[in-house]
Amino acid sequence: MPAGREKSGRFRRIFVKTPGGKTVTHYRQQKNSKAHCRDCHKVLSGVPAQSPALVAKLPRSARRPERPYGGILCSACMRKAILSKVRGVAP
Amino acid sequence: MSLFTIGRLCVKIAGRDAGRTCVVVETTGDRFVVVDGDVRRKKVNILHLEPLEQLIELKSNASHEDVKKAFVKMNLPVWETNAKKAGAKPLAQRMVKKAAKVKVPKTEKKAKEETKQ
Repeated sequence: MPAGREKSGRFRRIFVKTPGGKTVTHYRQQKNSKAHCRDCHKVLSGVPAQSPALVAKLPRSARRPERPYGGILCSACMRKAILSKVRGVAP
Repeated sequence: MSLFTIGRLCVKIAGRDAGRTCVVVETTGDRFVVVDGDVRRKKVNILHLEPLEQLIELKSNASHEDVKKAFVKMNLPVWETNAKKAGAKPLAQRMVKKAAKVKVPKTEKKAKEETKQ
C-alpha cells in the first residue's frame, strides 16, 4: 500500500525500468517553477529556477537581471513600461 | 534630420541604465551616439533612447563636468561613480585586532605547563 506522502502529490513520479523488466515508481522532489513575465507570461531568462534556499546563497546580481523591473518583467515589457511613463500615456 | 543632435535630452530605455535621463554628447555615424548625464558615459544605439523635447547647449564631446553643471541647473540627478577607498577600515580598529593577536613566547608557555604538572 503506498504511503500517504506518495499519494499527496508533493513528489513527482518517475517511472524506472528495473533490470528484471518491471516498471517501478520512484518519488522525487518537485522541481521549482520558472519565473515568468508579469505582463506577457514569457519565461524570464537570467532568473534561476532553483529552490529558495539555494537562490538565497547566490549573490544578488545572479538572482535577476541588473535592470529596472529585472526578474519581474521581460526586457520588451520593461521598455514598454518605461516608454509609457516617459510619454505620460497609460500602459 | 535626426532628432539625436548634440544636447538632446533623452531617456534610456534599455539595459542597466533604463529609465534614467541622459544627454547626447557626440554623434558617431547615423545609428550611434555618445551619452552622458545620469547614466554611464558610453556609446549607445539610438534605438535604445527615447528623445525628449528639451535641448541643452553643449559643445561637441563636452566633458562630464560640463554635463554635470547643465544637469544641476535643471535639477536633474547626475551619475557619479564613487571609487572605493583603499584601506577603508579605520586604523584604530586594526590596531585593536593586532593587540589581541599578540603571541605568548614559547618559554612562558612551557613554564606554565610545568607548574600545572
